[in-house]
Amino acid sequence: MKKPVALKVLDIVTIIALLGATAMVFFYAPIERVMGAVQKVFYFHVAAGWVGMLSFLFAAVAGIIFLVKKKKIWDLVGVAAVEIGIIFIFINIVTGSIWARPIWNTWWTWDPRLTTATIMELVYIAYLMLRQGIDDPERRARFGAVYAIVGFLSVPLTFFSIRIFRTIHPVVIAGSDPTAVGTFDMTPAMFQTLMVGIVVFSILFVDLVWHRIRLGQLANQVEEMKFNLQD
Amino acid sequence: MNTTLNTVNYFIAGYVVIFGSIIGYVISLYVRWKNLKQEEEIITDSTDQN
Amino acid sequence: MQPGSIRLNTKTSFTKAMFAVVWKDLIAEVRGKELISAMLVFALLVIFIFNFALELDPKTRSALTAGILWVTITFAGTLGLNRSMAVEKDRGCLDGLLLAPVDRTAIYFGKSLANWIFMVIVALIVLPIYSILYNTNIISPALLLVIVLGSEGYVAIGTLLASMAVQARTRDILLPILLFPVILPVLIAAVKASAGILNGFPLEDLQTWFNLLIVYDIIFTSVAFMVFDSVVEE
Repeated sequence: MKKPVALKVLDIVTIIALLGATAMVFFYAPIERVMGAVQKVFYFHVAAGWVGMLSFLFAAVAGIIFLVKKKKIWDLVGVAAVEIGIIFIFINIVTGSIWARPIWNTWWTWDPRLTTATIMELVYIAYLMLRQGIDDPERRARFGAVYAIVGFLSVPLTFFSIRIFRTIHPVVIAGSDPTAVGTFDMTPAMFQTLMVGIVVFSILFVDLVWHRIRLGQLANQVEEMKFNLQD
Repeated sequence: MNTTLNTVNYFIAGYVVIFGSIIGYVISLYVRWKNLKQEEEIITDSTDQN
Repeated sequence: MQPGSIRLNTKTSFTKAMFAVVWKDLIAEVRGKELISAMLVFALLVIFIFNFALELDPKTRSALTAGILWVTITFAGTLGLNRSMAVEKDRGCLDGLLLAPVDRTAIYFGKSLANWIFMVIVALIVLPIYSILYNTNIISPALLLVIVLGSEGYVAIGTLLASMAVQARTRDILLPILLFPVILPVLIAAVKASAGILNGFPLEDLQTWFNLLIVYDIIFTSVAFMVFDSVVEE
């Protein structure tokens, strides 16, 4: 399975874009007056969060298409999107925690966004565990698709429930509600850096998904070869 | 607050996590690819011999 | 024969099939008494564990009762779902059901309805026992309504996920892992509504939570209905 030229190009573009965005964060974006350097974690924290959410949406849509069309490629897309979503949301959660620690003096805040992200992460880890427990490839793909859809639908409901839960029970943590991104005012330079970060992470997402799909294709190939051997 | 907090360590920790996770995943993709390639070779070798 | 009568027959066939499944499960339960007794014993044990795990003096207890009830219902419910689907799979009943010339979704609704009934029955027994154990009356129509609504959402998605989990190698541990993150909205709404009722809040204040329960029930029942076919096809 030779690597297509387009993918080789994309790899290079991704690396350059990532380096560029990092340079922007390190040198172009100003240091926030109150929070200091750690605020700069915000750029990739938000980017990872957004792209992570989108990858789970991607997986749900791929699941629907797979259930309708039954083409294996859509199953590969779904798994790829979930795996990469897990990585991005992991980044989102941990950087959120790292940001919270010096600012609000706590490693964890039960704010709706962080909590929902963690629950979402658990849903998608459950997705992988579901797949792992099923030996028949066709069934594995079908069940994965179903759970990807169900899992994604539950996320907004979870977010709203926690949101309402929190407005009735105000935060007891001394300090402000971390969900309010307006806890610092964004200068234009910060805004630009954020937007670039989101775009770059989207490029990274496409690159990683493509690679993961190829891995899936190879895995399917080998599995089929093994199956034929048994005859 | 008039002074800026010194949070450089947290900033570094954050970026270590970000790049560590991405690089870690890329490495896992590479390792899994290599393993599958090896399996493929073993199977094609054994079927060639038959 | 009038043209309308043919359509009437297929509609009856769906509900007939659905109630046939419900009836089968209910009769099996009346005879074997496996499911409800297992859920009940488990629920009581959980309440006893809570008694020792948490400091349940009268003051704190009122704040915690709603939570304890719903944790108990959540865990006992998993038992029920697991058993309900495992029995079908093990005895090959599912295959038999699937061969029957009925709409698959009738089977889904039948199973969910049966599971729902079992959960509500268990709750109906647990509530008075809890009242006796803690010398407080927690039974009220409003609370029962919350239990009915909450169980519906739980069972709607739980039956679907249980049908999948039961076909996996890791069957027993997999259902809670799949189910719990996804039913959190139901749990949150049910606990908040229950706590409000137990603390005597006026029902208008709890409107949001009831709405959330209903929305959740509708969304997940519809989705499970649409997707169930993919889970049981061979």
